[in-house]
Amino acid sequence: MNASTPSEPTSRRAFLRHGARLLGMTALGALGGALAGRSRSEGWVWQIDPAKCLHCGNCATECVLEQSAVKCVHAFALCGYCNLCTGYFEPEPNALTTAAENQLCPTGAIQRTFIEDPYYEYTIDEELCIGCAKCVEGCSRFGNGSLFLQIRHDRCVNCNECAIARTCPGDAFRRVPASRPYLLKTSHAQ
Amino acid sequence: MVSTLCLFALGGESPAEQRFPPPDFTETGHQLPVTTTPPPRALWVHYLDVAVLAGALALALWLIYKKRSRRGLFWLSIFSVAWFGFWKKGCVCAIGAPQNVAYALFHPEYAVPLTVVAFFALPLIVALFAGRAFCAAVCPHGALQDLVLVKPVKVPAWLEHALGVLPFVFLGFGLSFAATGSGFPVCRYDPIVPIFRLNGPSLMVALGVLTLLLGLWVGRPYCRFACPYGALLRLAALVSRWRVRVTPDSCTQCRLCENACPFGAMREPSPGVASPPFVRGDRRRLAALLGLLPVLVAAGALIGHRLGPAVAKLDPTVALAERFLQQQQSPVDHGLMTPEALSLQRAERDPKGLLQAAAEMRGRFVLACALFGGWVGLVLGVKLVSLSVHVRRADFEPDRGACFACARCFRSCPQELVRLGLMPAAEAPRPASEPQAVNA
Amino acid sequence: MTMLTAMPQPAPGTPTEQKSQPARSSGGSPRPLVKAWLWTACIAAAFCLLVSGTMLYFHFTALEHDPWQSPRLLELKAQLRASPNDENLKLEIRRLDLEFRQRYRRRLVLDRTGGWLLIGGLAVLVAAARQAAKLRTPPPMPRPDPMAELRARREAARARRAAAAVGGVVFAGLTTLALTARSPLPHSATEIEKLLAGSGAEATASDALPWETFRWQWPRFRGPDGSGVSAFTNVPLTWDAASGANLLWKTPVPAPGHGSPVVWSNRVFLSGGDAARREVFCFDATSGALLWRRAVENVPGSPAVQPEIPEMTGFASPTVACDGRRVFALFANGDLAAFTLDGAPVWAKNLGVPKNAYGHAASPVVWPGRLIVQLDQDEGAPGGSKLLAFDPASGRLLWEARKPTHSSWATPIVVEAAGRPQVITLAVPLVMSHAPEDGRELWRADLLGGEVTPSPVFAAGLVLAVNPSTELIALRPDGAGDVTRSHVVWRAPDNAPDVTSPVSNGELAFTVTSGGLLTCFEARDGQKLWEAPLEIEVQASPAIVGGKLFVPGLKGEAVVVEAARAFKELARSRLADEFLASPAFADGRMFLRGQTNLWCVGQPRSD
Repeated sequence: MNASTPSEPTSRRAFLRHGARLLGMTALGALGGALAGRSRSEGWVWQIDPAKCLHCGNCATECVLEQSAVKCVHAFALCGYCNLCTGYFEPEPNALTTAAENQLCPTGAIQRTFIEDPYYEYTIDEELCIGCAKCVEGCSRFGNGSLFLQIRHDRCVNCNECAIARTCPGDAFRRVPASRPYLLKTSHAQ
Repeated sequence: MVSTLCLFALGGESPAEQRFPPPDFTETGHQLPVTTTPPPRALWVHYLDVAVLAGALALALWLIYKKRSRRGLFWLSIFSVAWFGFWKKGCVCAIGAPQNVAYALFHPEYAVPLTVVAFFALPLIVALFAGRAFCAAVCPHGALQDLVLVKPVKVPAWLEHALGVLPFVFLGFGLSFAATGSGFPVCRYDPIVPIFRLNGPSLMVALGVLTLLLGLWVGRPYCRFACPYGALLRLAALVSRWRVRVTPDSCTQCRLCENACPFGAMREPSPGVASPPFVRGDRRRLAALLGLLPVLVAAGALIGHRLGPAVAKLDPTVALAERFLQQQQSPVDHGLMTPEALSLQRAERDPKGLLQAAAEMRGRFVLACALFGGWVGLVLGVKLVSLSVHVRRADFEPDRGACFACARCFRSCPQELVRLGLMPAAEAPRPASEPQAVNA
Repeated sequence: MTMLTAMPQPAPGTPTEQKSQPARSSGGSPRPLVKAWLWTACIAAAFCLLVSGTMLYFHFTALEHDPWQSPRLLELKAQLRASPNDENLKLEIRRLDLEFRQRYRRRLVLDRTGGWLLIGGLAVLVAAARQAAKLRTPPPMPRPDPMAELRARREAARARRAAAAVGGVVFAGLTTLALTARSPLPHSATEIEKLLAGSGAEATASDALPWETFRWQWPRFRGPDGSGVSAFTNVPLTWDAASGANLLWKTPVPAPGHGSPVVWSNRVFLSGGDAARREVFCFDATSGALLWRRAVENVPGSPAVQPEIPEMTGFASPTVACDGRRVFALFANGDLAAFTLDGAPVWAKNLGVPKNAYGHAASPVVWPGRLIVQLDQDEGAPGGSKLLAFDPASGRLLWEARKPTHSSWATPIVVEAAGRPQVITLAVPLVMSHAPEDGRELWRADLLGGEVTPSPVFAAGLVLAVNPSTELIALRPDGAGDVTRSHVVWRAPDNAPDVTSPVSNGELAFTVTSGGLLTCFEARDGQKLWEAPLEIEVQASPAIVGGKLFVPGLKGEAVVVEAARAFKELARSRLADEFLASPAFADGRMFLRGQTNLWCVGQPRSD
C-alpha cells in the first residue's frame, strides 16, 4: 500500500467511482428493462366500485381534500322517480316536502323537481355534496339504488395512496385506467 | 329509531334491485339528464409535468455548473414550489415514485405509468452524472424547506452522521412495504404534501408545520434526516461524474465555505495518512467492523423476520382479519352502520377468503420485513465502516452525497468573488503554504 | 431576499490577519433597517398566529355545528319522529339546519382563504426574518485549526458511537415491536390451513372426546350415528305401567316438545318450551330426578318477538345433542345454546329464525370437535339453506356450506363411510354429503321431493334415504360430484314412510309408515322380504336393540318384533301417554319421552 503519491489513490477512487456509476446505470437500465413491458403511457386513477360500496360515510371524512372528491352521482335511467324517495327523505318523513326536517341530505345537496304526476326528478348539486352516502344508503336499501358514490376526477388529486381506500370497509376502492375513470351503474344486475 | 331498524331489516338482503320501474314519461316527454363524468387530468398534462421536470433539471444543472448562481436557483425553487407543490398539490412526485416501481416489479398486473417512471429515473440519472441537482431547486419538498431557512444552526457532525442513517431505513421500509402491494407509506407519512394541499390528516399537517418550523433553523430537516428518495440520490451522487466545487480555481483553505453550508455537507481537507500511533488501531477497528457487517445483516434479517406480523397489521386486509378473529372470541358492539361494523359484516360473508388473503399478505410481509431488517443492518454496518475509513482530501469540498447543490458556498469563496470581479485579487487570501493543485 | 448576492460580500481578511470585524458589519448595515425587518417579521408572525388560531378554533368546534353529524340536529329529528305534529320543533330544525349549513360553508371558505393567508404571512415572515438574520449575522471569522486531524478523529469516533446508538435504538424498537405484537391470525401456514379447514377446534382438541366414547352413549337423535341401533342388547322386551314391571321410573316432562331424549352416562337431557320460554332439562338416569333446568334466554340476536310456530311442531322439536362435555339445544326461533353437563351456560347464539312453514325440526348433531346444524329453509332461495359447523367449546362458526335446498325436517347423520367421515343430509331435492372437517361438499344426488322428514341411516355400506311416501333409496357413499345416475344401488317403492326414519341391522332394513305398516327389505339389494300391519299409529322412529325391533306407537302401544327374515311379533306393551319422540337407549334401559312423562324402561338391578 503505497500511499505516498497523492495521485494514485485519487485515480483509484475515480476508477471505483466510475465502475460504481456504470453499475448504477446498468441497474437503472435493468430496472427500465424489467418495467419496459409493463409500463404504459396511460395512468391510473382511483375509483369506487358501487357494487362493493357499503355507504359507511368514510368518504366524507377521510379524503385529504377539505371537501371530499367523492360525490354522489345519479344514474337517472335506473331511477324510479318516486314521490317518496328514500334517498331524499328521512325514514318516515314528516311530510313529503322539501322542508329541512324531511330531508335526508345534511347539506341539502339533492334537488327535487316535479316532472309529471307522480314523478319527481332528483339531481345532485356537487358543490354542496360532501359524499356522506346517506342518500345512497336510503336509495340502495329501499329504492332502486340509482344513487351511488363516485370519485369526481375534476376534484381528485389522485394521491399515490388514496387515504379513503385504506379505510374503506367494503374494499370498494381500486385503481382504474385513466381512460375509463368511472364505474357507473348502468343496470340492476350490478 | 325502532322503526328505522325495522325498515333496515326489511331492506336487508339485496341492496340493488329494480323495486320501482323507471317511468317512460309519455305525458311530458321528459328527457333524462345525463350523468356527467368529468375526466381526470389529460395525458398531455402528465407529459407536460415530465417536460417541466426535465426542463427544471436542465435549468438547475445550468445554474449550478455554468452560471454558478444561487439567485437563479432561488427563483427556480420558488417556481418548483409553486408548480410541483401548490399547483400540482404534491402528486406526482419523485419521492414516492420508487414505491410505484417496487410495486410494479412484484405485481405484474400493475402497469406503472411512464410519468411515474420518468419522475423516478430522471433525477437519478442526473444525480449519477452531476449530483443532486433535483434536490437543489426542483424538488418542491426540498425547495420549500430551503426557502424557509432563516438562521441555520450547525448540527454537530456526529449527529448528522448518525441521523443520516434514517433516510436509508425509511427507504428500505417504503420499498419493502410497497413490494408487498399493501400501500405506499412514504406518501402516507409525507409531512410536506399536506402543506401544499392546505389540508390533510391532522397528524401529518401538524408534522408538516413542525418540519417547517424546525426548518427555520435546521436546514432541510426532512431532506437530511428522512427523505428516502434523497437517500437514493445520495448513493447516486456519491459516484457522480461531475461534482459541485466551491472554488473554480484553487482552494486557499480559508475555511469560509465551511460556514456557508447550512447542511453540514462541507468536508475539510485531510492529509489522508493517519499518524503512525493510530494506524494499527484504525486497521483493527476497520477489520472488526467489516467482520461485524454480515452479523448486523443477519441480525437485522432475523429481527425483520419476526417483525413481519407486527408490520402486517398496517395492512387493511390483515387488520380486518385480525379484528374479525378477535370479534369471534370476544364480541365488541360497534354500533349500527359504522365502518367497523360494516367491515366485520363483510368479513363474515367470506371468512375463508378473507383469512386466506390476510395470510397471504402476511406471508409477503414476513419476507419483505426480513429483507428490510437485513437492509437496516447493512446500512448500519456500511455507515460504521465508512466512518472508519480515511478519505484523503486536498481541498475544502462538499461531500458528494450530502451536497444539495444549493450553490450557497460559491460566493463565500474569495476566489469565486475574484473570478467574478467582485473583489480585487489583491484582497483575496493567499494560501499560507504552497497552493495545492486541484484535480480537474 | 437572496442570501449573498444582494450586496457584495464584505471582503474578509485572511485568517492570519485578525481584525475586529463585527464593527464593520454593524457599520455596513444600518441598525434601523434590521429593526424594520424584525418588526415586519414580528407582525407577520402575529398575523400567522392569529390566522392559525382562528382556523384551529373553527376546526375543533366544527363537529358540533357540522350539518352532517351534529348531535343536536339528530336529536331534534328523533324528537320530531316521536311527536310528528310539533310545529315549533320543525321550525327549530329548519333554523338549525340553515345555521349549520351556513356555518359549514363559511368554514370551508375560511379554511381555504385562511390557508392562503397563512402561506402569505409565512412568506413575509420568512423573508423579513432572513433579511434581519443576514444583516445581523457577523461575517464568519474562521481560524486555522492546527489540531484538525485529531479533531476529525474524535469527530469520527463520536459519529461512530452515535450511529451505533441510532442503529441500536432502531433495532431495539423493531425488536420490541416484533416481540410485543400479538395477532389472533395464526403464525404458521399450516395453522392457518387448519383454521381455514375449520379445525380451529385445535385448541379444544384435548377437550373433544374421541368417537369411541360416543358409541356407548346416546348423544343425539337416534343414537351415536343416527341409525337407531343401540350398542346394548339388554333392554327388556315388555313393560307394564299398571304393575310397574320393568318400569324403572317416570317423571313429568316440564315443558312441551317433540325432541327425543339424549343420554350421556347417567344423565338424560331433554329440551322443551314454547313462545314464552325455552328450556333444557337434565334428569338423573337412575332415579329420574330432575337435576337441573336452564332457560335459554338473553341470546344475542334472538328475535324480540317470537315467530309464529305451528303447535304441531313447536319450539322444541329438534333433539338436543351431547358431546360428553356440553349439551346443545336448538330451538325453532334459531336460538342455539350450549350448557355444561352440570347446567352451566357455555355459549349461546341465534342463527336467525329459520324460514320454515311448519317450524324448524332438524336436530343438531355432534362429531368429535364439531357441532353440526342442518339449517335448510324456505324454497331454496340463494343463501338461505346451509349446513353449519360450530366449535362445541366456543360456539365459533368453523365452516358454513351453502345448500341449494328447500326446508327439511330430517336430521343429518355423521358417519364413517367409504373411508372418510361424511355428514349426510336430506333436503328437497338433494341427498348431500359434506366433510365434517371443513364442510367441503363430497357428493350429491338429486332424488328427493315432497316434505322430507325421515332421516337417513347408514347400513351395509349404503346410505338409506326415504323419499317420503314414494320410495326407499340406497346409495353408495363413495362418489364425488353429482352421483344421481351413478351411485343409486336400489330403489324400493313399497310402503315408503312419510315421517318415521328407517332402521337397519346391517342385513335387513325396516320401515314403518304412520299407519303402522312395517316392511322388511334386504339391505343389500332392496328386495322386499315381508310386510306386516302392526295396527298402531306411529310417529316416532323405530330402533333395533339386540336383534329386536322396537316400534313405539303414538298412542302408547309399543310393539317389539324379531329383526329377522320372517315376521315374528315378540311383545306388545302399553303406556298411558302419547309418543312422538323416538326412544333413547342406555345400558339395560330405554327412555321414552311422552307428551306428559319421561319414562324409563329397564330391569331393576338385582344387586
